[in-house]
Parts: sequence; C-alpha cells; structure tokens
Amino acid sequence: MSSATGRPADRRFHVATWQVTLTVALLVLGFLVAAQLQSETPRTSYTSQERGPLVQTALGLQAQQDALKQQLLDMRARIQALEGTSQGSAAAVKSINDGLQAARMGGGLVAIHGSGLVIQLEDSTKTIPPGANDTDYRVSAADVRTVVRELWLAGAEAVAVNGERVTVSTAILDIGGSVLVNSAYLAPPYQVSAIGSTDLYGTMTGAPSFVEFVRARAEAFGIQISFARPSDVALPAFAGSLNLRYARPAPPLPPSPSPAP
Amino acid sequence: MSHSLRSGRNQVTLALVAVLLGVLLVVQLRAQSGGTGLETLSAQDLSDLVANLNTRNDQLRVEVATTQAQLDGLTAAQARGDSSLGQLQSDLARVRAWAGLVPVAGPGIRIDVAGPISSIAADDLLNELRNAGAEALGVAGVRVVPGSVIGGDPGGLSIEDTALADPFEVDAIGNGPTLTGSLTRAGGIIAQVKATFPGVTITVTPIDMIGLPATTRSLVPSHAIPRL
Repeated sequence: MSSATGRPADRRFHVATWQVTLTVALLVLGFLVAAQLQSETPRTSYTSQERGPLVQTALGLQAQQDALKQQLLDMRARIQALEGTSQGSAAAVKSINDGLQAARMGGGLVAIHGSGLVIQLEDSTKTIPPGANDTDYRVSAADVRTVVRELWLAGAEAVAVNGERVTVSTAILDIGGSVLVNSAYLAPPYQVSAIGSTDLYGTMTGAPSFVEFVRARAEAFGIQISFARPSDVALPAFAGSLNLRYARPAPPLPPSPSPAP
Repeated sequence: MSHSLRSGRNQVTLALVAVLLGVLLVVQLRAQSGGTGLETLSAQDLSDLVANLNTRNDQLRVEVATTQAQLDGLTAAQARGDSSLGQLQSDLARVRAWAGLVPVAGPGIRIDVAGPISSIAADDLLNELRNAGAEALGVAGVRVVPGSVIGGDPGGLSIEDTALADPFEVDAIGNGPTLTGSLTRAGGIIAQVKATFPGVTITVTPIDMIGLPATTRSLVPSHAIPRL
C-alpha cells in the first residue's frame, strides 16, 4: 500500500489517493451547496428572539394534535369493529350499521381510494419585480380554495389537501402566507387530491373559471400548477370533532323560521 | 518544496474541506428536519397559529372524551351481552346531524346578501363561517355539505342547481355572537367583500332558532371504496 517513504512510485500512488479523496469531498461539497441553495425558498425567513419559544410551542401543539387525531382514528376504528358485532336483533343491527357506514363514508370519516386526480400548487420561482407584492407569488389559501371549488364543480366526490380531508366543517385559511386546513398547518407544496370519475380532469381543465384561475395565477405570477392522474388516489379519513353544541337533530322543517301559516 | 511540507498542506486542505463539509451537512440536515415551514412565519403569525392549534386541540380532547365514553359503553354492553342498539342509534344520529344527512335546528345567525357578489366571495363567506365554528349551514334553504359550492356569475348565482335570488339568505347554526363577531370584525370577510364589491350589502341578524333541512344529495362516493 502507499506510504510516505518518498520512493517515486509510492509517491505517485500517494498523490493519487489524496487527490481522489479531495475530489470526492469537493463533489459532496458541491452537492450540499446546491441542495442548500435549492432548499432556500422565496418565502421570507424570520429570525427574532421571541420566535424561538413560539416555534417550540407551535411544534409541541402540532405534535399533540397529531397524537389526538391518531387516538381518535384508533378509537373510531374500534367502535366500528364493535358495532359490527353488536348484540340485538340481527336485522335492526344490520340496518343501523349500514346507515352508519353510509353516513361515515358520506361525511368523510372513512379513508377511501379510487379513481381521481391530484393537483399540486407550488410557489412561483419568478424573480419578484421591485415594488411588487411578494404574497402574489406564493400559494395562498384562496388558491387552495379555488382548486377545491373547481374540483367540486367538476364533479369530484371527495377531496383532501395534503393529509386533511375536506368535510362539511372544513375551513381553509391563511396564516402568514401559509395555509391551515382543518386547523392543521400544512407545509407547501399543496397537493389537492380528489376522487371522481375519469372525466374529472377533462371537465375541470375545460371549465372557463379554472382556465381563468390558471391565467390569473400561473401566467401572471408563475404559481406552479401541476397535475397527476395516478391509477389510484387515496384520501385520508377526517380526524376531527363531530361535536355539535348548538345544532340538534330536528324533525323536517321549512329551511327558515318563516312565519307560521 | 519538501514532500513533508506538501503532505502537511494537503492535510490542512483536507481538514478544511472536512470542516466545511461537516458544517454544510449539519445546516442541510437542519433545513430538512425543520421543513415544517414555521420558519416563514412572523411572531404575530406564530401567535395566531398557536391560538388556532390550542382551540382545535381543545375540540379534539372533547371529541376524544366523547368517543371514549361511546367506546366504553359499547364495550360494557357487549361484555354484559346486552343489546347495543341504543348506542348505535345515538352514534348514527350524531354522525348524520354533523354530516348534513338529517334536518337540524338550533340558534345562530341569518346573513342577507344583496347585490352583485361573486360566487367566490360568497363561498369565502361560507369558509369564514366554518372557521368561526358554524355547525350547520344553509344557503337559500339548501343544506351545505361537502361539495356544495356557490357557482355562476354575479346576478346568476346558484347552489346545487338551485338558483339564488337577489338578495339571498345564508343561515348558520352556532354561537351567534362568535359568528357575528368573526364576520363583522375590522378587516373581516364582510369588510373585504364590501371593499371588493361596493354594490353589495351584507346584514347579519341573530336568530333564536334556525331550522335547516337535510341535504337532498347522496354523499356516498360512487368511485371510491374504503381503504383498509
């Protein structure tokens, strides 16, 4: 093997070894520098003294939320299993269980998969001109809401954004240029997944309102909108509260408290 | 140049490269693991996020407690060999009321919207009501469920194939003062809509008891099956 004894042949070999090492190291360095530059998004990064504890609190609360959601999903699965083996009149139990299954499917409480479409929204990579509003170049909650809207209008049967199912109680909001869905903080890029017929893509991309959205956001500001049509789209179950404190099941009523006849 | 000197310089170069490599590696790993996106939020945004997470976690704890009670009841009934029909029925009623599959009634607010509002702005109003904790929504007597979207052009809006008159009503069941406060606050949705559509007027009225019908749509997806 190589040594530092100074014999010409050995020296040549020795030099080759450190050159190879250095080359490899520089290559890795190059990759890291490139990765570092790429991971720097156009979103502003803040640094201040007060942010540290707040970030820690937010991360802690988000971890708690994830744990609570998992706990809820586990308990719901156990309840569903127990209900399937309930005692009582077989016909009555079956009828209620069928009703429960349909209500849970309809409400978004069951993870499902089927044919569909995934639309991804990413921030613009365009250079923001001086004086321009940098929020125009980022994906906003309004963009996510528009895509969800267009999917519903095109006939989607179920929709989710990243890991959050869009349900009857779902709000999609901005928090400082990022997006909350079901009060869960979602990191970009935003993937809106929808289940529907195989026509979904054609119907949506042909809709004038969607074309207008693409023109207003992708063409004007460089918001990146991409599509995927996987053979199978999977949507998660909603892991949130169904608790109603004000609304009570009621006999069929006219839709508003109009004066009694 | 002596061999030992060159060897020493090589070592220094290698050491420097190694140090730089290490620093970059750590920075990169931190950047990857810190991919929560929280670094893009200002202190004010973080405070809002923390408040939002706190509210949601409290709701989730209530839901976990309710679900635990339900699970305990079901388990006990099965252990005794009792019928759990009552449990099943109350679970069914709860899920159906939440999902919009049965009529519901309760206190809340009525919002009258008049003028040439866009369908997106009208949908944003529903989004804000959900954010403020509305438990059930109706637009012109149509129950709002997943997929209920207000579509069409100003003056010709519709929801679920029902044309909306001008003015049209939005009913929301929930905590009236909270819902009203959320809509009417400075910079809130009503202020935003009025700024964008000067011809639109939106009035909010508290109502003691609002009745909303069930949805008339089947909500069960026909292109999906449960994921096990």
